[in-house]
Amino acid sequence: MHWPWERAKESLSEELEAHLQMAIAERVADGEDSTQARAAALHEFGNLPLIEDVTRERRGWMWLENLLQDTRYALRHLRRSPAFTATALLTLAFGIGANLAVFQLLYAVILADLPVPHPEEVTRIQAARSPFDQSWTISYPAYQRLRAATPDIPLMASAYAQDATLDLPNRAPIEAACTLVSDNYFSGLGVAPAAGRLFVQADERMDQGEWPMVLRHDFARKTFGSAQQAVGQHVHLNGRAFIVIGVAHRRFIGDRTGYAPDIWMPLALESTGALAVPWDSLGPGHDVSLDKPWYNQPTIFWLLLMARIPPQRRAEVLAHWDQAFRNDREVMTEATADPVVRAAHLRVKTGIAPLSENGMKKKFTAPLTLLMALSASIFLVGCLNLANLQLARLHARAHELSVRMALGASSGRLIRQIVLEDALLVAGGSVCAFVLGQVASGILVRWASNRNSLFTFDLHPNLPLAALGAGLMLLSLVSFSILPAVIFIHTGATQAAGSRAKVAGISQTARQRFRSNVLLSTQVSLSLLLSTMSVCFAATLVHWETVDVGMDREHVLIVRPELHEPRYTDRSEMLPELYRRIQERLEALPGVRSAAVEMCGGIHCGWITALYVHGRNDLTDAQVHGQEDHVGLGFFSTLGIPILRGRDFSSSDTDKTQPVAIISRAYARQLLGDADPIGQWVGYVPAPDDHKFLIVGEVADARVNGAEREAPPVVYMSINQNPAPVNSIRLRAVGDPSQLSEGVRHALYEVDPALTVSEIVPLAAELNGDLGTEKLLARLAGIYASLTLLLVAIGFYGVMSSRTARRKNEFGIRLALGATRRHIQMLIVGQTARVLLAGILPGAILSTLAVRTASHFLYGSVSANSLAVIAASFVLAIAGSVATLIPARRAAYADPLETLRSE
Amino acid sequence: MAETTKYQNRIELLQGTLDMLVLQALLREPMHGYANAQVIRSRSGEVFTVETGSLYPALHRLERQKWVKSEWKLTESKQRAKFYQLTALGKKQLTTDHQRWLQLVRAIGAVMEPEVQP
Repeated sequence: MHWPWERAKESLSEELEAHLQMAIAERVADGEDSTQARAAALHEFGNLPLIEDVTRERRGWMWLENLLQDTRYALRHLRRSPAFTATALLTLAFGIGANLAVFQLLYAVILADLPVPHPEEVTRIQAARSPFDQSWTISYPAYQRLRAATPDIPLMASAYAQDATLDLPNRAPIEAACTLVSDNYFSGLGVAPAAGRLFVQADERMDQGEWPMVLRHDFARKTFGSAQQAVGQHVHLNGRAFIVIGVAHRRFIGDRTGYAPDIWMPLALESTGALAVPWDSLGPGHDVSLDKPWYNQPTIFWLLLMARIPPQRRAEVLAHWDQAFRNDREVMTEATADPVVRAAHLRVKTGIAPLSENGMKKKFTAPLTLLMALSASIFLVGCLNLANLQLARLHARAHELSVRMALGASSGRLIRQIVLEDALLVAGGSVCAFVLGQVASGILVRWASNRNSLFTFDLHPNLPLAALGAGLMLLSLVSFSILPAVIFIHTGATQAAGSRAKVAGISQTARQRFRSNVLLSTQVSLSLLLSTMSVCFAATLVHWETVDVGMDREHVLIVRPELHEPRYTDRSEMLPELYRRIQERLEALPGVRSAAVEMCGGIHCGWITALYVHGRNDLTDAQVHGQEDHVGLGFFSTLGIPILRGRDFSSSDTDKTQPVAIISRAYARQLLGDADPIGQWVGYVPAPDDHKFLIVGEVADARVNGAEREAPPVVYMSINQNPAPVNSIRLRAVGDPSQLSEGVRHALYEVDPALTVSEIVPLAAELNGDLGTEKLLARLAGIYASLTLLLVAIGFYGVMSSRTARRKNEFGIRLALGATRRHIQMLIVGQTARVLLAGILPGAILSTLAVRTASHFLYGSVSANSLAVIAASFVLAIAGSVATLIPARRAAYADPLETLRSE
Repeated sequence: MAETTKYQNRIELLQGTLDMLVLQALLREPMHGYANAQVIRSRSGEVFTVETGSLYPALHRLERQKWVKSEWKLTESKQRAKFYQLTALGKKQLTTDHQRWLQLVRAIGAVMEPEVQP
């Protein structure tokens, strides 16, 4: 490989040589002796290499040549110290990568705007809260009225449907997340298609033979190869024919943070019943027919609204809508008997809320900010560590550098060489960091997600991320390379030079030692902080994973059968018999103590209900609302929920006998205070129909909404009195419940070969799968803590090694004068101990403050968390001491004769 | 004394004017560096000795500015040498330099010998 300047260099030499030859030739021609001629010509010519240099400088290649030379030199240097190079690369990769990963998540959850033009104009519209779920949903007729009231303002409606099964020709079916949207959804938001077209008014027609669907870009690519290939595909979704009409823009993944629908479909699809759409209504007896199409029912609330309104028109538009919505608001108040609540509902005005204000942001802002702070600390620890190692390295090179300066190397060039070496490290580390960050942010999302629903974020690299990366690169370069190099070259190298002046050297090293001690103890402080947080988060996670949930969490297995099929739903009167056979067969399995069916499929499932007590007209809305679940025989003993009073459901409770209910302790207290609930009459609606059910039992509270959430008030009804398809079968095992899976599948097949099981999962896994935030914090803090521990250990090892190496002569003399090896070791370990102490004390204060600030995420008392500080300090002290012992031993066991001879 | 004069001349004249002299020497025909130095020396009546250490940086600087271009050729005595040739851009530059030089000479002349002025 010939660089252009190398060719130019050769060419120049030849040119000057030719000049010389001609000068000699002329002198010879003039009659001079050839040797004399040559000497004279050379004399006249001047300093050949200098001329070459000066000439080359004129060509302007010099700087590049120097740069390449320096780069080669730097690479050679890095290769020669593989341990430092590896440490620096890994430190930078983790330090920067961790920040990038967390920031990417933080950006996607908290900072990112909807990728549409003028995102600030798009807001959610909140007309009224639905009576039971308290969600901001309204009916289809109401939506039409609002839209008609302001024809020039795009008002978009959507409804999140349950996942559906997508059948593709010659492929295994896949589960897809679906959302129903109004015809103006994409046009109103301003989303452009990546391929094909998006919805238009004609797509809202009822009774289409082949329904249109729009796909999310990544889903289309994953499923069909590319957006273009997806368009025009004919597919089946939940058994109905669809055609893919288009793919949304690559960056648009839905309007709700964290939830990305795979498929968007027209609202009119609801009328087919192909999808399960969440809804709320006025409740029984209010002319609600769920089986009929919803588009003309003003008492079913299922549409979420979003609009694009220029800010200056907001007040006017909202006033218009309030007027158009007045009738619907009155209809919605019919759900409550409480006159105070009713009046309050009527006073509510239609409002707006930013799109970014959602559960996801509320749930993750604080933890992610905390993680960002922890990530920043690990970056800081990394930089400090590298700065310290760098200083130690420079001191080791002091002699070489000073000789080079004495020979005329400019200090600028020396600094440039040192910085270039580190710039290469930073560049290499950053490449690793970007890769690591991309991978890690995906992993973080998985940790943060609930077990059953994976969050989807736009994790494509973006400008702020690149800016952060570049900023961190620069910061690390300045802190661990430029600053130490400048400090070193300008303060010390030349003085310590030449004679290795001992006297000057001692005061110098004292200052250097102080500097590196400060760096080390700062690292210790930060590391203590991270370790403490990690211990606290881990303890919190363990707490929620083991807390008493009022159920036998370790022995219950949840089996999810697919019963929502016409075979079962059309003949629901046969279901109690099927449930009896399933229970009988499962309970015959070895290792199964009991089995029962339940309407709920898992946690967070009971639906919101209202119970009115016969003879009590003074109940407020807050008192009557609770959660409802329908369960089979033996449910309570299977789950391990104790019956406190009265009786369990029995086989004599059927659809022919008096409907009965069992109420949880919390619900009973909420409705009746300390009075005995047994024998009370309750109903879904106020008097006169408030005596449909007879309460026959009271059970203990259970945390059915997840380990972290308080046990809700629950009323249990018998599934046999109101037969419907259940969503889960629960088993209580003698030992580990997951061992039973195969036997259960087999047994269910024997009972009903047509019955499919979609999932089998232990209750503990289901509960733990819900601890997204805790898991995220505990795991990430754990990783950070171990990383900083490692860094601190490396820091102590590196600094103490270089220190002992420099004091080799001194130790040799000490040993020769009679110091014991133990004495030498203690000398070095004592230094470490002082640094550790200087770091641990402020670190402990810092940690205590941090724990107090983060107490919102932590379970446990202050004293328990102080214990974490002590434990973390202990681990840190051990790590630091062990890392020091290695160089200390090396120094103590060096042969004094050997060292003195080299003196 | 002659030595000093020569030395002073060299210092004063070569600053900024070497480029012009080199270009002027190349005006008639392409030539190599050695010949260029000889031409300047002989035409100046042996007053200017262009030092190698000034000549080659100048030639390379001129080439970088695209005022001259170079190619390797054989001399009459079969010596391989790098020949420099004036480019169109170089000719323009030479004209400008020459104009400025004449202006300078006239101005200095006017200051030094006011009685000669018409």
